[in-house]
Amino acid sequence: MGVPFKDIVVYLDGSESSMTAAMYGIKLAVEHEAKLTAVYVVNTKALSELVKAGIFVAIERDEYQRDLQADADRYLRHVAKLAATKQLEIESVKLEGAIHVVMRQLLKERNSDLLVLGGITDIRSRREELSSETDRMMRTSPCPVLVVRDDDDIWLEFEA
Amino acid sequence: MILLDVLDKDLVKVPLTASDKQGIITELVEVLAKAKGYSSQQFDDMLEAVLNRESLGSTGIGNGIAIPHAKTNVVKQVSMVVGISRFPVEFDSPDGQKSRIFFLVLAPSSAASAHVELLASIARTCTSNVFRRMLEGAKDKDEVIRLFQE
Repeated sequence: MGVPFKDIVVYLDGSESSMTAAMYGIKLAVEHEAKLTAVYVVNTKALSELVKAGIFVAIERDEYQRDLQADADRYLRHVAKLAATKQLEIESVKLEGAIHVVMRQLLKERNSDLLVLGGITDIRSRREELSSETDRMMRTSPCPVLVVRDDDDIWLEFEA
Repeated sequence: MILLDVLDKDLVKVPLTASDKQGIITELVEVLAKAKGYSSQQFDDMLEAVLNRESLGSTGIGNGIAIPHAKTNVVKQVSMVVGISRFPVEFDSPDGQKSRIFFLVLAPSSAASAHVELLASIARTCTSNVFRRMLEGAKDKDEVIRLFQE
């Protein structure tokens, strides 16, 4: 574990900011000749909570779980394609569970050097401060974390 | 995605005026359609999606809260309307309590992750009895916004 980075992990959730993070991760991996792993976590904990709270019925939970699985596959494929444009082969990992918990476990098991994340939400409410999964990942990561801000330039570079 | 990511003063209505379940849902969809400039066909499509979901089982979750929701590609991103009723409305909640606090959540089918996160965020936010009481007592949309931001 250390610098230069040899094992970089980028977390995807389908948001624009996580795609920006993926692009940074690709560039960093190329620069450092590091291994890059893109990870999408299907948030089955949230689905279970929604059923428990009575917001989802069982049939709905199953439908959303399929949607989330499809989302995961789509975004992981997309990032692999982006990486290929930089002649980088990446590993794609799809996990299930509580996001910050399974991410922490993965980072520890792999002894990763760096976690790359998209935007951290502004602190707009004490009540919500600790509930953002991205925030929780940043706080609980066993390795250094790079938080990537919105950046149009990197999108332009990958779209070129 | 958390509740504050989509909370919008134009998408808050206090008080709601309808007195039954279908009326409340219709009123919430109207708020969204008006604020976003949707056509009457789009309004009908959104309403139908929410009522179809409601037919699977009530979205009244108890403690005076209901979260009618649906997937619809009328909306391009996850959208939420918050409504507070002065009077409790029968929403077929499992605890038998009528509802006064309503969250309408609509999302395109391509935004499953954000949709799930938002619903979970609403559920977490409303776990406090004290907070629910304060929301029920909110006099106007400014007060609703302030309560969520505290």
